Amino acid sequence: MTSGKSVRMLAMVVVAMVAFALTGCSQFEPRDKRFYYRALWNFSLREDLAELDSEFNGVDFGHSNLYENLLLTGGQDVPAIEERARKETLAFIATKPRLNPNEEAIAPTYMKLAWRAQNTFDEAHALHRATYDIAVSDEPDKDRAIHNVLTYYKDSAYAITSQQLDHHRLDNFPYSKAFRQRFPLFNATIWAYHYLQVAVYDPLQVAPDLAAKTQAVRPILTAYRRYLDQPPVQWTFMPLTAELSPQFAARYPELAHIFDNLHMLHDNISDILTSERLPTWEAKRAEIYRVVNTYYLATADATNPMIAKAEQEHHH
Amino acid sequence: MSTARIRTAKWLLCAWLAVLALPALALDHDNLDPNRPIGMEDAYAIPQGEIGLEGGVRFNDRREGRTQVTFQPQIIYGAFANTQIEIQGDLFTDPRSNVGANKSGDLHLGVLYNFNTETLNLPALAVRVEADLPTGVNSKGVDTQLTGILTRSFGRLRMHLNAGYTVLGSPQGQERPGTYRAVAAVSYPLGYPGRFRDTVIASLYTRQSDLHGQRNHTGVEIGLRHQLTSRVVLDGGLGTEFLGPAERAALLGTVGVSVGF
Repeated sequence: MTSGKSVRMLAMVVVAMVAFALTGCSQFEPRDKRFYYRALWNFSLREDLAELDSEFNGVDFGHSNLYENLLLTGGQDVPAIEERARKETLAFIATKPRLNPNEEAIAPTYMKLAWRAQNTFDEAHALHRATYDIAVSDEPDKDRAIHNVLTYYKDSAYAITSQQLDHHRLDNFPYSKAFRQRFPLFNATIWAYHYLQVAVYDPLQVAPDLAAKTQAVRPILTAYRRYLDQPPVQWTFMPLTAELSPQFAARYPELAHIFDNLHMLHDNISDILTSERLPTWEAKRAEIYRVVNTYYLATADATNPMIAKAEQEHHH
Repeated sequence: MSTARIRTAKWLLCAWLAVLALPALALDHDNLDPNRPIGMEDAYAIPQGEIGLEGGVRFNDRREGRTQVTFQPQIIYGAFANTQIEIQGDLFTDPRSNVGANKSGDLHLGVLYNFNTETLNLPALAVRVEADLPTGVNSKGVDTQLTGILTRSFGRLRMHLNAGYTVLGSPQGQERPGTYRAVAAVSYPLGYPGRFRDTVIASLYTRQSDLHGQRNHTGVEIGLRHQLTSRVVLDGGLGTEFLGPAERAALLGTVGVSVGF
């Protein structure tokens, strides 16, 4: 083959790829995965307090497994969710996983439906993990470390607002509460995860050393495991950071708001995937993206009608 | 098995044990990069900001000619959103018998750009542009490659297509000035719903021979990527070429490690 022919062949490959790309241009959605904030304290929780870290690895499975099963069953099949999917989650948690699972392998369909929402979760979950790592590490200036990781998070286009949102209004869309009403056991299990995620902050912050931190989180882990065995179906609203870790929320209000908003978004998406008011996958995707873009992302702060005007309290 | 193959197998076992002894220093085992462990990749770049150090040892036990061992050190960096850059320099044990674009010691620079994530209606698409600088043994001219990559999933099974074309900057003797390569592959995460550490990959490939007048190298490979720790992925693969020139591979094998931080 002459070099002229080679160049023509190369050009044809380029033209074919560009044509293929343009064909689906309207459906293009960027992946935009971002690495976590790099620091010496990365993975401190995994290395030093594995008992707690493994529970969070189980939580990661629970959310994705729920969304995939809700999507594939149309949100109508109570045994499939309350029995099969919930018990798969409990079984995974019981394995005490040493690494966080690959969520795209757990929920391949949901990831294709709503990647933008998943990436929003992923970045907020990385922030969660970073704050635990900092709390457990021997980092001498934890406030500075928290400031740095929060600044890094807020730089992302996928950052959830650090403003306090009006969660009661966010829980009053036409489809709201569909998930908890149809699947009360799994909903209470999800809220138990969120309890664990926010209740450990104050004990971790107050305890002076690793041994004390390990002891301090034990009662929380005991309560969490009790909730997994007997889901707290009597709760009427998700756990809030300021109620369960008031010192942490007072010291880092932006973080507390981000985590509460994150957990509220989880509830919204569970409702959207459950509700028959949004009967098609396309309708569910459109509503998930509308909610994420309009009410949750920090990029919408200037126009977000859900930003709370005054401090509000919620009670279980 | 011949004495040479036994020797090669022992050597690879030692290399594998050495890799296992490395300190745990996060590449995702489900993010597939070329040669880790087989000659295919998915359409996704590593996350923006991540740095990966990858290394492997690959042996090619040829039907004719000496067995060739290749050392594959590589640095990858998520330089921009959806973009990774790569610096690589393969070293061969029998450098002078090599023909084609990849010469022992060539400095290989590559950029992978991922256009999109997979959605319900659209596969993930990426393009890779590469250049081999003639820093290696008997190497002349800058060789360039362009590869299109597509990833589509069906449940947990992911299908990958790679199609590329290489232009040699300065072909020598009977070397072709340009060669194409096509790979069809599948990957599947093992262990759901109880375990998420392993991904198995299998591919079928064909590539034009490096010299005029020879048949395409056509073969199959299978590999496994195992997440050892949060930051370390181990890989191993085997393959064979069932069509091709007389010196095509009878047995291909790779072991490697990827460290992300």
